[in-house]
Amino acid sequence: MASMEKRLQKELQALQRDPPVGVKVDTDKLTSNLSEWTVNLTGAPGTLYEGENFVLHFKFGSRYPFDSPQVIFGGANIPVHPHVYSNGHICLSILTEDWSPALSVQSVCLSIVSMLSSCKEKKRPPDNAIYVKTCSKNPKKTRWWYHDDQV
Amino acid sequence: MATENIEDAKAQMGYDPTTNYDEATMAQQRQIEQEIAGCQPLIGKETDLKTLHDEYSPEDKIYQDKITDLQRKHSAYRRIRMDGNCFYRGFGFGYMEKLLKDKSELQRFKEVVTTSKDEMIKLGFPSFTIEDFHSNFIEVLEKLEKDCGVDELLEIFNDQGYSDYLVVYLRLLVSGHLQKNDDFFMNFIEGGRSVKEFCAQEVEPMGKESDHIHITALTAITGVPVCIEYMDRSEGHGVTTLVFPDDKTPVLTLLYKPGHYDLLY
Repeated sequence: MASMEKRLQKELQALQRDPPVGVKVDTDKLTSNLSEWTVNLTGAPGTLYEGENFVLHFKFGSRYPFDSPQVIFGGANIPVHPHVYSNGHICLSILTEDWSPALSVQSVCLSIVSMLSSCKEKKRPPDNAIYVKTCSKNPKKTRWWYHDDQV
Repeated sequence: MATENIEDAKAQMGYDPTTNYDEATMAQQRQIEQEIAGCQPLIGKETDLKTLHDEYSPEDKIYQDKITDLQRKHSAYRRIRMDGNCFYRGFGFGYMEKLLKDKSELQRFKEVVTTSKDEMIKLGFPSFTIEDFHSNFIEVLEKLEKDCGVDELLEIFNDQGYSDYLVVYLRLLVSGHLQKNDDFFMNFIEGGRSVKEFCAQEVEPMGKESDHIHITALTAITGVPVCIEYMDRSEGHGVTTLVFPDDKTPVLTLLYKPGHYDLLY
């Protein structure tokens, strides 16, 4: 088994055994070599996204965990958030240049939940229109500028 | 008129607002990385130091003099791939090469690595990923306990999957040490970042280069003193020698040229 698959196998077991609140792997949608995952997120109570359901798509390359996974929101409900574009792309530094092999699917999900939870006003990023028109399908092919950690 | 001029200028530069430039830039970066990977192993062969003279123009007096100075103390070097992990990879290989001939030091180091796991989990690292990297590291140390020779060690370090696992664990050790001693290390971090943020941005991700603070932490946590010979464009005929920590006898020596470390013998 490739090291990427071995590692993902272990991550999947851990996530099923001990899932964090609001994070659930959709095991029906896993591909056979585990290179694509679908994870259901629920907005945390007491936040702007309380009770809302979101879908995250993960794609893993053969260099995972040394290369970061590709992570985008999908489905009908893309969260309206200053760091989430309407095509589902997420501006979050751990998904590109601050990715570390010590991170995992679980830590990515928790970072995204916490990013949503700290939001104070539901709005799209200011450059949403132009970005969505010109960006690559893969958000990892965007050279992101990380503005602030406040939201 | 002004608008026309701007449009002219854009046309001259070949700027097209509907083109995705990020993708092109990143494709080019990747291509450069692959070119480097194609012609340079992760850890090179032991090479006579005099060949280093050929890398610089004979008129480049500063560097030629410094290489001559280096030859007074050292005879050979190994080139480490320039991928931003050279300090960790060079340290890892150079030190484990010493361990092949020093079984009692190997036992001491294995003890350090074994206890480090719980320390890191206590600091809040995710136990799941720590365990994965830790068990791989121990596996290599166990190979050293058996009849592993330099050639096998070189093979391990040139197998990217294996090698990167070792680099990650060394990075995590550095991060753990910095975070555990954040009262002290926060004084050396620029840009108003916390020690934890610094570790997340400059220590834990692969490919992030190492500076004094990383070297100080790695030598402290492993108990392995390191000498660095600094070769740069500064005035003077000799290299600058620094030992981390400065009151110990170094176990291995690295050669620093701006932005890169190689291993010295």
